Amino acid sequence: MAEIAKPSPQPPAPDFIIPEPGSHVPVIETPLWKIRLRLFLRSARTNFQLFAENPIGLFGLGIILFFALMALIHPYLMDNVWDRNIYDPVIGIDQSIPYHPAPPSADHWLGTDPLGRDVLSQLMFGTRAAFVLGILAAIVTVTIATTVGALSAYYGGIVDTIFMRLADLIIMTPTVTILIVMAALFNVGFVHLAIIIGLLGGFGGATIIIKSQALTIKVRAYIEAARVAGGGDVHIILRHIIPNLLPLSFLYMMFTVTTAIALEAVLSFFGLLNIRMSWGLMIYTTQRAGYLLDMSKWWLVFPAGLAITMLCAAFYLVGRAMDEVVNPRLRKR
Amino acid sequence: MAELSTNQNDILLKVENLTMHYTTRAGEVSAVDNVSFELRRGESMGLVGESGCGKTSVATTLLRLLPENAVIKSGHIYLDGLDLVDLNEEKMRQVRWKKISMVFQAAMNALNPVYKVGDQIIEALENHNEVKTNQEARRRVEDLFRLVGLDPAMIDRYPHEYSGGMRQRAVIAMALACHPDVIVADEPTTALDVIVQDNLLREMIELQKQLNMSMIYISHDIAVIAEVSDRIGVMYAGRLVEWGASDQVFKRPLHPYTYGLMSAFPSIVGPKRELTTLPGEPPDLLNPPTGCRFHPRCPYATESCAREAPPLRDMGNGHFVACEHPMEVSLEL
Amino acid sequence: MRRFIVRRIGQNILTFFLFLTLVYVLVDAQPGDFADIYLADPRLTPTQRAQLRESLGLDRPVLERYLQWLRNAVRGDLGVSFSNYPRPVIDVILERAPRTIVLFLTATIMSYYVGFLAGKVLAWKRGGFMEYATTIVGVGLYTVFLPWFGLMMIWFFAFTLGLFPIGKFVDPVVWRRAPVDANFVFHRMIFSAFLGSTILLLWTSFSRRLNPDQRRPARLIGFLVVLVGIVGYWIVSGIGRYAWDILHHLVLPILTLTLVNFAGTMLLTRNSMLETLREDYIMAARAKGLPDKTIRDKHAARNAMLPVVTAFVLAVAFVLDGGVITETIFSWPGMGLTLLEAAVVQDIPMVIGALVFTGILALTAHLVADVLYAFLDPRIRYS
Repeated sequence: MAEIAKPSPQPPAPDFIIPEPGSHVPVIETPLWKIRLRLFLRSARTNFQLFAENPIGLFGLGIILFFALMALIHPYLMDNVWDRNIYDPVIGIDQSIPYHPAPPSADHWLGTDPLGRDVLSQLMFGTRAAFVLGILAAIVTVTIATTVGALSAYYGGIVDTIFMRLADLIIMTPTVTILIVMAALFNVGFVHLAIIIGLLGGFGGATIIIKSQALTIKVRAYIEAARVAGGGDVHIILRHIIPNLLPLSFLYMMFTVTTAIALEAVLSFFGLLNIRMSWGLMIYTTQRAGYLLDMSKWWLVFPAGLAITMLCAAFYLVGRAMDEVVNPRLRKR
Repeated sequence: MAELSTNQNDILLKVENLTMHYTTRAGEVSAVDNVSFELRRGESMGLVGESGCGKTSVATTLLRLLPENAVIKSGHIYLDGLDLVDLNEEKMRQVRWKKISMVFQAAMNALNPVYKVGDQIIEALENHNEVKTNQEARRRVEDLFRLVGLDPAMIDRYPHEYSGGMRQRAVIAMALACHPDVIVADEPTTALDVIVQDNLLREMIELQKQLNMSMIYISHDIAVIAEVSDRIGVMYAGRLVEWGASDQVFKRPLHPYTYGLMSAFPSIVGPKRELTTLPGEPPDLLNPPTGCRFHPRCPYATESCAREAPPLRDMGNGHFVACEHPMEVSLEL
Repeated sequence: MRRFIVRRIGQNILTFFLFLTLVYVLVDAQPGDFADIYLADPRLTPTQRAQLRESLGLDRPVLERYLQWLRNAVRGDLGVSFSNYPRPVIDVILERAPRTIVLFLTATIMSYYVGFLAGKVLAWKRGGFMEYATTIVGVGLYTVFLPWFGLMMIWFFAFTLGLFPIGKFVDPVVWRRAPVDANFVFHRMIFSAFLGSTILLLWTSFSRRLNPDQRRPARLIGFLVVLVGIVGYWIVSGIGRYAWDILHHLVLPILTLTLVNFAGTMLLTRNSMLETLREDYIMAARAKGLPDKTIRDKHAARNAMLPVVTAFVLAVAFVLDGGVITETIFSWPGMGLTLLEAAVVQDIPMVIGALVFTGILALTAHLVADVLYAFLDPRIRYS
């Protein structure tokens, strides 16, 4: 049977050259860190594009930026625009108005609370508190979860069992309940709360997911290569495993911030925290003054509640959108 | 279109100019193009071709099990005189399994893991009102099990408790449950090891003769097809390129593609020769070649082959081929 | 299967003891004694204070106190509640626990049922707008600030529409001349609901043995009989309107808790269904000529359910937390509210008691979920 001769394609040009002995081989001039930075920026841009495909993520991001703006403007307003005595969120009082809580007016866009303080100012100050608390808790969680996850995956055995059992226990325990108990026994302030939330989150569910991710990294070829090249355990964990876990860790930061803000609000609302001012505290004040169910004084409850919901939702949405980018399983099928 | 046979009386299934397309993001895929064949009562037919040639598509189209993005563009499927293409879904559901049933590829997955095997067969029986009482259903299933060589004690077991061969038999039993006129078997033995394959094939031939059923046997394995079928249809790129009695097609292939398929097999007897393989790959069905779809790979292609698609012509004895330059070889040993 | 259950119960008991130990460590770690407030009464002389301390066992070493406490706890003696003096803690728990359990159980079952149903239908009809809208509403409900949401619910349904009471367990006006007390009525209600559902369950599994065309009418009749039986009993007993009052107070808290939790199940079910629908046995079911609804419910949903049940284990804590907040907002006198009130006045024995209760509830729910999963997946049951 006759064969049709097909022209065979040219082999691709080699992208490296074995130098002749004695010849001059060109050396890469740019420093390593610059190259790393460039690669990082490039992948960051692609990731952001992927992220931006999802309108939900952008929506969340927008809300976060809005609140961040509010938080940043507040000190400026306090110093330059507003009279400290009247508008301070904790100790201010407007004595020109006889009856507090006062409804929204030109001077007080969201009215005043039962103690005579400007609600808008409180809202803006609360934003600062929310962000700081959230980010602090998130950092603690991520640090612990990543470390524990990496170590569990790498060493396995008894270390793994202990941490996973601990994580199971923590997942099963209702957080609010535990925090209520802690607030009853100890004097829980802002930083304490952030650290406790961070600890609970760090040793909890996030660890399990990060550990499974670490397991998939552990078996990859470059880990084997690193080991053959003489890399010690610490080196491999720090230089190879953890950097690959960072996107997932960053994702969990988002969810931790959501939880942290919500938890603080709930606990403040119960009056169990030692905090100067926060959104939850605004609602607590309202309750103590007896105006909680009084809908005619809507500005006492509505803005704070809305702010909590929106910021929590924003971080959650951003987290979900990031999930699509970071988690290769979920990418657009 | 040329008549495929002269005796109209015992023709059970008549497929006429069946064309089916998938709509994908990239465009329309011409999966089945102008396919026509006939099947008589008690006859078995094999459909053979490479992966992606459209044979499974034909099977799913016969039962109208198409996904949402697929549509039958034109053609008719006459089953016992009834055109299946025009039927509404309600009526089609009554036809499915009762008049035409299917044994799926990799049948292990065709059984729902959370229900007992017997129950799944009873479900089919009850759906088509084949049985009135539970005892009747039970007896029917026991008979079916014995027919395919399964121990009736396994009726109340779950699919994961069966071995691969047993699952295959169970699926065959299920396909036989409502005494259909036609069974379409899509690569029923591919997933099994050779010895089990052999046994199962023999039993299927037995069953077919015993029950005087018509069977359409789909495979890419010509050896298997030749053993089981009375007639063979060869498919390429969505089209039927050759059709005829089994030993005719096998020993005197007319289409160059069929010849290529046949000669890819070494023969135990006869002189040693170099194995011929077909160069190139099956075409992309998004943009199929013009004219005869095989012409880019065909050693005998001429200009006219690229222009017009040759129709199926009867070369005598009911052996049809769709080619302008049919071969004249004999593979008899 | 039996071995599986026994093993899990054993694990649970172990975890429970670990939990008790951690609780004790926590309590002991606090600065000062737990009886500080109790003993801070200025009217006590130092001698009296020392004597009381001794009687409370506060001067013994930690290990001894811990073992003593453990021994007492296992026997059911959790101390005396400071804020409810002289009632023992266990007494308060036994009174309030059923209310929390009813709230938790009903809300969980309903939110799962609704979520599952919604997810199932959503996956089957992949319509663009509906999907988008439900996802947004779902996520919104999931992230909403629960106290605020509870307040909105009260404002809308209780204040504006006047359909439901604002909170609390009972309406004192209705109960003014009641011959029985609220706990009695409540316990009766629980019992009748429990009896009714058990009978229904047994009847449903029995009806499977019947012939195909008898099954559906049989189930319908069974359901009606049980319904009429329960309602009839309450009407005839004469205390029906008290039961109705309690029911009336139950609606809003349960509704709130359900709404907040169903979205998670819904989204998970939808994704799980989408994965299941791609399986071969779904195609086989279609080939058998089965109607769409049967394929969706009997074949797809049954398999899609499995990951959802697994997720239930994680959700238990979330629902319990939500329960505490809901009880507070609605003044529903259950263990959640008790925990909070005790925490605020630092009634430590009560706080520990509430915590122990919560731990038992969480562990039991966990166990039930595991057993349920094993029951649903024959691959686990028979391996």
